[in-house]
Amino acid sequence: MMKVPIRMLGIATSIIWVLLITFIVLAAYSITDLRFNVEEPQFTIDSNGQLILNLPLIIDNGGYYSLKEFQITTLFSNIEGVEISRANTFIPIIPSGEIVTINHNVPINIEEIFNNDEKYLFEDNEIQVSLSVGLNFAEVLPSQISTNFTFPWGAPLSDFEFRQADFNRFNLTHSLVTIPMSFANHAFFDVIGSINVELCNEENSVLSETQELISVNQQDSYENSLEFIVPISESTLTNVENGHFNVHFSTLLFEHGPLVIPYE
Amino acid sequence: MSEQKTFNTKMIREIVLRVLKASIKAALVYVIYIFVTPMLAPVFELVPDLMISIEFFVIVFVVLMVLSDLTQNTIFQHFFNTARQLYVIGYLLLSMGDGLMSLSYESISLTVNLTIFYSIAVLLSLLGLARSILQAIDYMGKKAEREASLQTVLKP
Repeated sequence: MMKVPIRMLGIATSIIWVLLITFIVLAAYSITDLRFNVEEPQFTIDSNGQLILNLPLIIDNGGYYSLKEFQITTLFSNIEGVEISRANTFIPIIPSGEIVTINHNVPINIEEIFNNDEKYLFEDNEIQVSLSVGLNFAEVLPSQISTNFTFPWGAPLSDFEFRQADFNRFNLTHSLVTIPMSFANHAFFDVIGSINVELCNEENSVLSETQELISVNQQDSYENSLEFIVPISESTLTNVENGHFNVHFSTLLFEHGPLVIPYE
Repeated sequence: MSEQKTFNTKMIREIVLRVLKASIKAALVYVIYIFVTPMLAPVFELVPDLMISIEFFVIVFVVLMVLSDLTQNTIFQHFFNTARQLYVIGYLLLSMGDGLMSLSYESISLTVNLTIFYSIAVLLSLLGLARSILQAIDYMGKKAEREASLQTVLKP
């Protein structure tokens, strides 16, 4: 009496088991036919003057199943763990047998990096990256791959320094103070803009100021002299020697200042 | 004497058949295992412990299956069948945990959510368990029927 339902139950269970095992084997086999390729990152500047890191990612889905809800999340932070930038790219589906190129764009607010930690402006350092890739494999296997790594950060004003001042008479009432300034642009972008330097006395009163236009390509060095016209008086030398410089940087990508450099 | 001899021959033939059937089934499972494992090699490379776990599972599964075949047409066959199904359910539930499989290689970590897969497998095992229990009930029912008809025949 119960023979038929038992047999039917047995057949149905066996068929579903076979399908499930076949699915698992094909899914595991499909993983070997998945290819991820990260191309050279590119930096561009958008219309708002913000730096964009473009990370082209090529996915060759040679497996038997579609990849759904593909999502890349990147979190950039400085060495103290302060968040610099967060970006997310979502692709609803990568069909089976197709090659898809994903452009993961990460906006980087350079000014914020320097505001959080001034060292990034003047010293080469590291940026921490937290990368997470989530996808729904074969419809029923949601997966996530995450990794942390660091990449070197080149300072745009590396080894920024003012050297020994040189005093010369400019005319009867003023003298010319010449100060050599140098730095190296180790950043992955060009530094184009101006540097405004105020020469101040002990009381923070501006004695003189000058502006230098700069255009330094990445990995290039810059060396020039700043010239200040200072009124000649008995106290001029003392004022300068006890004073300091207020330096303001204004470039296409960032504004920073004042950087106070004591006269040495 | 001749009846006893025929009975013994029948018994021996029956036992040989059972052993043969059990051996063929065990060999079949082993062949499937041998063919399937290379396909799962990428997974085993990431999780070396999984191979050992699956090997152990297959050994216990095959032993229970062989015992069930050897004790065919007895109540013990159904005990072993039920034990096998309970073992599969237990194995799945224990290995499932929170349903997440996490692997780490250097600074890369991979997390796969296997909840749906485990749920389907557990449901299928429950169907198998239900089938084993139905078979046991059917066996006991038939046995009771046989005994009742025998008693009717033997009654003066």
